[in-house]
Amino acid sequence: MIIQEPIQAAIWHALNHYAFTDAIFLAERLYAEVKSDDALFLLATSYYRSGKPGKAYSLLQTRGCPTAQCRYLMAKCCMDMDKLSKAESWLMGGNLLRSKNSYEDLINEYGDAACFSLSLLGKIYSKTERVAKAAEQLKRSLKLNPFLWSSYEQLCNLGEKPDPAKVFQLSNLQTFSSCQSAYSSTCPAPTPTATQQLPPATDSTPVIEHVENQVPVQETPPFSDAVQTRLMPSVDSGLKQLGDQADLSMSDMPQVPMVPRCVGRPRPRAGRSLLGGPTALSPFTPSFGVLPLDTPSPAENLGTFITPSPTLIHVETHGGLGLGIPDPKAPTKKTMTRRGSKPPVFSQSGTNNTSVTSAQQSGLGYSAVTNVRRSSRLFSNANSVKENNKGNLLLNAAGKKNRTRGKSSITQPSFNELNELNKPEKPETVTTPQAQAVGLQKAAAEGLMLLLQKMGKAYSCLAQYNSKQAIEIFDELPAHHLNTGWVLSHLGRAHFELAEYNQACKYFTEVRRMEPYHLEGMEYYSTALWHLQKEVALSALAQELSDCDKESPEAWCAVGNCFSLQKEHDAAIKFFQRAVQVDASFAYAYTLLGHEYVLTEELDKAMSCFRNAIRIDPRHYNAWYGVGMIYYKQEKFSLAEVHFKKALSINPQSSVLMCHIGVVQHALQRSDQALATLNKAIATDPKNPLCKFHRASILFANDKHQDALKELEELKEIVPKESLVYFLIGKVHKKLGNTHLALMNFSWAMDLDPKGANNQIKEAIDKRYVNDDDEPSVGFDHDQAEGGEESLNLTDMSHESSIVDADEMHLHAMESDESL
Amino acid sequence: MAVRPAVDIDPTKDEKTGKVREVGSLAVWSLSSCKPGFGVDQLRDDNLDTYWQSDGPQPHLVNIQFRRKMTIQDVAIYADYKSDESYTPSRISVRIGNHFNDLQEIEIVDLNEPTGWVVIPLTDVSDRPIRTFMVQIAVLSNHQNGRDTHMRQIKIHSPVNDGSVSKFPNFTSLECSQFTCIR
Repeated sequence: MIIQEPIQAAIWHALNHYAFTDAIFLAERLYAEVKSDDALFLLATSYYRSGKPGKAYSLLQTRGCPTAQCRYLMAKCCMDMDKLSKAESWLMGGNLLRSKNSYEDLINEYGDAACFSLSLLGKIYSKTERVAKAAEQLKRSLKLNPFLWSSYEQLCNLGEKPDPAKVFQLSNLQTFSSCQSAYSSTCPAPTPTATQQLPPATDSTPVIEHVENQVPVQETPPFSDAVQTRLMPSVDSGLKQLGDQADLSMSDMPQVPMVPRCVGRPRPRAGRSLLGGPTALSPFTPSFGVLPLDTPSPAENLGTFITPSPTLIHVETHGGLGLGIPDPKAPTKKTMTRRGSKPPVFSQSGTNNTSVTSAQQSGLGYSAVTNVRRSSRLFSNANSVKENNKGNLLLNAAGKKNRTRGKSSITQPSFNELNELNKPEKPETVTTPQAQAVGLQKAAAEGLMLLLQKMGKAYSCLAQYNSKQAIEIFDELPAHHLNTGWVLSHLGRAHFELAEYNQACKYFTEVRRMEPYHLEGMEYYSTALWHLQKEVALSALAQELSDCDKESPEAWCAVGNCFSLQKEHDAAIKFFQRAVQVDASFAYAYTLLGHEYVLTEELDKAMSCFRNAIRIDPRHYNAWYGVGMIYYKQEKFSLAEVHFKKALSINPQSSVLMCHIGVVQHALQRSDQALATLNKAIATDPKNPLCKFHRASILFANDKHQDALKELEELKEIVPKESLVYFLIGKVHKKLGNTHLALMNFSWAMDLDPKGANNQIKEAIDKRYVNDDDEPSVGFDHDQAEGGEESLNLTDMSHESSIVDADEMHLHAMESDESL
Repeated sequence: MAVRPAVDIDPTKDEKTGKVREVGSLAVWSLSSCKPGFGVDQLRDDNLDTYWQSDGPQPHLVNIQFRRKMTIQDVAIYADYKSDESYTPSRISVRIGNHFNDLQEIEIVDLNEPTGWVVIPLTDVSDRPIRTFMVQIAVLSNHQNGRDTHMRQIKIHSPVNDGSVSKFPNFTSLECSQFTCIR
């Protein structure tokens, strides 16, 4: 029997219930009393979890980091405080020049936390521009633990093209243990009242909490094999219910550290035997998130006899992990993807030690289950560990996606009945139940893996800016996953990258409606609204986001965009600077700041902003585009072309970029190339009117007037309200000598441009009649002053235009004999 | 020597539409003289209650020097006869050039009891906005022959995007303008 260390247990208990001041106080007393490594780690963890990485950092710095877990925590603190080099050196244990083999040592050293350490290391490398090494470490971490989505995301963002099918699979996973938490730090000790509370949805499931499950959590430091601390059962009542003695401790598994047996909030427990048949068997069985087995209590492992209370698995939703209530509407689709029988997979609370026993065998081998129960007692360590882990694992993995699946039901009733009858269990071969348990775990995890594979593929396409494919793949996701904030906002982003701003806005509004707290990706929503010039929507968005979270860069970017749309560039600059202050690693804020500086003509500052954005994220093609635009404004066309091409290499499907490249090539006198580029742009995105416009103007500049006119006529159909189209047509006609058509189009252009944004139109008309030859050119596209060779009777055209112009009076005065 | 009537317009309206930019922040401002507490800051603080008060012989000068050649569309001066009376400028000359010794007068404006913003467009012979390094606004005389002058606010505007149509087309319709740039 392992004695539980009560103080440590109490501290973990407090931590699990987010009572950080209590935890810190107790940990400080414990550390003062016993200056052990564990106590130090416990104290540092308490500081870190209470949101004070600085304190944990100072503590660990003064006292040193004796154990691997302390080093990992220290590295995390350093990362949070932006001390990348220190973080790296702590992770590497002071030996910064690690060779390949030494990474293996690292893995051994960190044991279970190896995957996280490697992931952290990968992130450090990627922030310090060591892309190859970063990719390597991230891949390693994924091999150890395919549930680390953040590593996968980072890999994609670095420009690597990991194959999701290979990454997200469990076949090469030695044990689940490396993916699963070895300690129940997240498991709250169950309390009697807690056990009674159930989220309504779960009430339906006949969850019979195993007695054991009510055992308080035991917490063990993840890295140490040796010490197992157990908590004295804090839930006496629960224990009493079972008539058990508390002290379920899990035996320590040599290969796996203690399994947490936290029983989280057990479902309604009816104490004993509930047999209650499965009150609610949801017809849908989720493919992961739920394990359908009963879980013999870990106490069994100790050999204590457990009253045959039904040990059904209870679906726990561990609030801490963000799991929601099991969704009875779990789609059946999932079940189809699941392999093997459809074992209902219950989501378990974090440390749900329901897993405790191999009881988690679903209906398959029902008898085996029961048998399992018994045998699980004997082998519970292995099984429970695995199961617990699975629960943890599922939860950890699922936490992100709010997965709680309904409970599986189908097998429950049978379990219940069986449980009743189960009292005298016959021992069975050990291997079968174990194997079954593992099999079930795997099945559940496979369900998640399949989902991750799909999402991984879509994310990878998006990171390569292959937006159309990404959209297709996202659309194939099952509806309940499709309608989550993450997926929808990435769909919105995909449409944004395709310049389909209206579609993007639709998705983003859906996200805002469903998850108003979901801020990631909202900066793109604000930019989409900026492009569409929707002032009201944009200012509403800015207001909401900044109310929601004043510390998020996305909110300040939205506010800045709002002011930029109102042309108040100084205010916009202020807000973008605030976004940068709030999060120095948010590249997009720098890009937007750069754009604002360009609009206020402060090109040096703009350049430095864009370069900052590139420094933070070399694949941020908007920043490359920005640099190109600055060079374009300064008329350094070849430099501009280089940068535009670089942006295009990152985002090959952007027709806007191709358009710009075409224009620049024309400016460099390479018109054929320009035309080819523009053709490609039109092929990529036929909806972009600018490509046609620029093509027409290049044809015009090359004196291919008929082609230009044809192009422009088509363009007129597409965008009938664009004044510049008519202006260009007018210019072409003027060149061709069709003065009346030219003037007609000029007047149309002026009509469509009430604010007179383009003074050149007016000038173009004026120049026809003002006799100056020395026209300074406006850019390289200028009207030749025709020196008034022809004059027209404007009155003929007056029916087309409503121009009342002082110059017109002048023109009228110059009536000629000719009439049209 | 054109006489321009004072008109009651708001120069910031154009700024909002994006056609012009206020570029005073890109320039170095200096005055020929000022009373302590009534200097350049009060002239440029966007507050019509504070003003610059000169403290020397006429003509009183406001010098605006840019680091690079700027295209200037107009200069807007806020003058209010009702509150400033004899301090209100009555004759203002605008000179431009490369530096102090290179200034040429391009505009003279006579004011008659102005009560708001006076916008002085600065155009060259072909009616285009001027391009210059330095602008000097000289107050030649005040109402009622006052010695010193009050000037409440000066704004100087530059046209936005005077590039050619091909280089920087200014699309008016939404369908086109959303494709003009990547943000």
